[in-house]
Amino acid sequence: MKDIQPALSRQTPVTSGRMSWKQYMRRFGALYVMMLLPLVFFAVFRYAPMIYILQAFKQNNIIKPLFQIPWAKNHGMEWFIKAFKNRDFLYALRNTLTLNLLDLVIGFPAPIIMALVLNELTFKRFKRVTQTIVYLPHFLSWIIISGLALRLLAPNDGLINIVLANMGMEPIHFLDKPGNWVWTYVALGVWKECGWNTIIYLAALTGISPELYEAAAVDGAGRFRRIWHVTLPGLRPTIITLLIMNLGHILGSEFDRPYALSNKLVTSVSNTISIFVYQYGLRGSQFSLSTAVGLFQSVVGVFFLLGANKIASKFGERGVW
Amino acid sequence: MKRIVTLLLALSLLLCVAVSAQAEELVDGKFAETKHITVEIYDRGNDGGTDPTDNKFTDFIKQGMLEQHNVEVEYVKVPRWTETQEINNLLGTGSAPDICVTYDYPTILAYAGMDGVIDLNPYLTEYKDQLPNLYSLLGDYNIFYDQDPENGSVWAIEALLAERARINTFVRKDWLDKLGLPVPTTTQEFEDMLVAFRDNAELLLGDDAAHMVPYSTSYDIGWRNDHLLTSFVPDAVTDEELYINGFDDRHLLYPNYKEGVRLLNKWYNMGLIWKDFAVYGSGDTTEDNNIKAGFVGAFMHNWDYPFRGAEDSIHANLKRNVGEDAAYIAVECFQNDAGVYRKFLADSIDRKVFFPSTNDEPLASMLYLDFISSPEVVKYLQIGDEGVNHEVTADGGIATLTAVAPDIMNSGMNIDYTITINGLELFDEDLTNKSKALNYAEVEPAYVINALECSTHDGRTAAHYNLPAISSEEGMGTPLAEKRDQFLCQAVTAPEDQFDAVYDAGMADYLAAGGQAIIDERAEKLAALGE
Repeated sequence: MKDIQPALSRQTPVTSGRMSWKQYMRRFGALYVMMLLPLVFFAVFRYAPMIYILQAFKQNNIIKPLFQIPWAKNHGMEWFIKAFKNRDFLYALRNTLTLNLLDLVIGFPAPIIMALVLNELTFKRFKRVTQTIVYLPHFLSWIIISGLALRLLAPNDGLINIVLANMGMEPIHFLDKPGNWVWTYVALGVWKECGWNTIIYLAALTGISPELYEAAAVDGAGRFRRIWHVTLPGLRPTIITLLIMNLGHILGSEFDRPYALSNKLVTSVSNTISIFVYQYGLRGSQFSLSTAVGLFQSVVGVFFLLGANKIASKFGERGVW
Repeated sequence: MKRIVTLLLALSLLLCVAVSAQAEELVDGKFAETKHITVEIYDRGNDGGTDPTDNKFTDFIKQGMLEQHNVEVEYVKVPRWTETQEINNLLGTGSAPDICVTYDYPTILAYAGMDGVIDLNPYLTEYKDQLPNLYSLLGDYNIFYDQDPENGSVWAIEALLAERARINTFVRKDWLDKLGLPVPTTTQEFEDMLVAFRDNAELLLGDDAAHMVPYSTSYDIGWRNDHLLTSFVPDAVTDEELYINGFDDRHLLYPNYKEGVRLLNKWYNMGLIWKDFAVYGSGDTTEDNNIKAGFVGAFMHNWDYPFRGAEDSIHANLKRNVGEDAAYIAVECFQNDAGVYRKFLADSIDRKVFFPSTNDEPLASMLYLDFISSPEVVKYLQIGDEGVNHEVTADGGIATLTAVAPDIMNSGMNIDYTITINGLELFDEDLTNKSKALNYAEVEPAYVINALECSTHDGRTAAHYNLPAISSEEGMGTPLAEKRDQFLCQAVTAPEDQFDAVYDAGMADYLAAGGQAIIDERAEKLAALGE
């Protein structure tokens, strides 16, 4: 922050302190007016609905107005106690953590590697075509991908296993053995999102001065040296920012991905918090319970976000804010 | 206590005032000024179908309601296969139609507990004289089926299930003939038949031998193997036992059920059952396509499953894809310990009709239910116009014809509009029975008659006890049904030596997650009833 401060003050030499309020508004008022709309948006659609967090502490009722619903038992903590006593919730918590951690360990570095590889390609048209092809899966919904996965990976009727069987090999149980399913889940995630996430890194790469590469080359650095000493340091702020954001989602869970890819044989690893909320909350009409679970999820997410940000700034990075 | 009594008195007074105020409005069953109601209708999104909210049959109802009762009817469509979730959303947001219909009673109970549903009891008793058709079609048994014995509240009316047949076991008749096998009549003969199908794949399917599926099933183990599984339930099981263990509609908790699943597990490991059944979810058409392509030797499903859908039915597809003689016939082969082909039939109840508390026209809505329960309306909706939707055969039976838009019925017999009845009812027993077999376009009557007979023969209906709501059941329907499907799938596909471990762990989890609490509460309330 320190090195930015002087630069800013140079651009705006007149500070508000020396200006009267009227002068200040005349000069910057338009900016505040422009801010108004987004602020109203956030207030109405993001902050006001948060009042319904109270549902987590109230009796299960979504017909009565919120403030007329009596508080839940145990000083309003009934649903939290119920959730943590529910084994399905604890399994869902474990599965959510496992799947998200694997996604982070494998899914996070993948686009970085992909961006580095694409960046090294000298044949520009090939690079552009490849880039387009790898980010297209991003636009497919998980429902479509799960359909594809079934046609390709089903234990006996799937294309891959039919080919394997014709070669006299045993089928691979991609989808029906819990252990394998987890890897299929992670791999499909990488396949779908890797290309799309590459875009941000490629954008950051264009910001690295070519002079640095030339200088490194003059000093005798080979390709890998240049990647290590020029490209990666250039990407570092982007990587850190995205990592922190990802850590904020460590307990968050998508619904459609595990729900669509799952089947009855692998629920021991595929039931995540979002599926728990869907089954107990939406389909079982237990709205307070699912609000409580959602709130718990968000609070843990915020702690992870704050923690990661703090650690990042300790290591001399700027963090997210 | 005093305050509650005063409150109740005040409320009932208000209700009386409200009810009598409305009573004055009715002249000859007609409102003085036009009322407007909205009615839920299932949307099946069927190929070549019409808009379920606006077609020839809705026009018929709308016109009739306007003429007889001066009530304007508007339909609100809800997707058929996600109806429970959808109705939840509508109720939660206060935008549900005035007349709602669902198969899921726990959902109604949950909203009743939140004051989201109207108690129908006052209207049903006060206006009994205005509702002759409703009473004569459903009878007190169905109307007050769900009445709370303590406070008399009726949150929903149970539609009449006129057709009690549920499930059938189907086998490929042409395969039996080709292999010179008799129609199986015992569990062992059924198994031998499956083995014969498996071992003769080359002969039966030629180049497609690799696709051979002797016996097909789905993730819904309980429904799709019902006749086999319940044949393991002892014949001497009492009605009380059936009630106490009757929460699960797939009969999972019935005694000795596990042994039936064990047999499935054995068959799976013998390669007799479709290997990949468990990875496909609800609504997937892979299995149906296998059946239609002629790869499947036997399966259990809804009693008329191969015959449904006219030109797109399994029956018609087999004829096209395999040959004229290819067909499934219904068989009975699973005897219980007393040697009886016992099937557990559903009670005579079907969909549940209820009014959400946002309904401002409960009386007009009641009259709607009465209107669509009248014999002429039921008859017209079920068979449509002569020469278009049906023809009359030489012996007077009603034979269904394949109709296209705008005359098409989006659901068989317009079941989605006749929300108070499910199953053909022509108000003439002889005619109804004669016509049932003619009800499937493209299917020879003999197949249907045999299927109907097989599905209901030696059937047993568990007794109904009118008990207070079982509170431990609240909200548990879906989570427990999910658990059931999961562990049954896992048990069937487990290696034989691990079957006991997988099944017992799954059952223990099911009971711990709420199953045991339900059993205990049912037992307790049933015992209290006897006292």
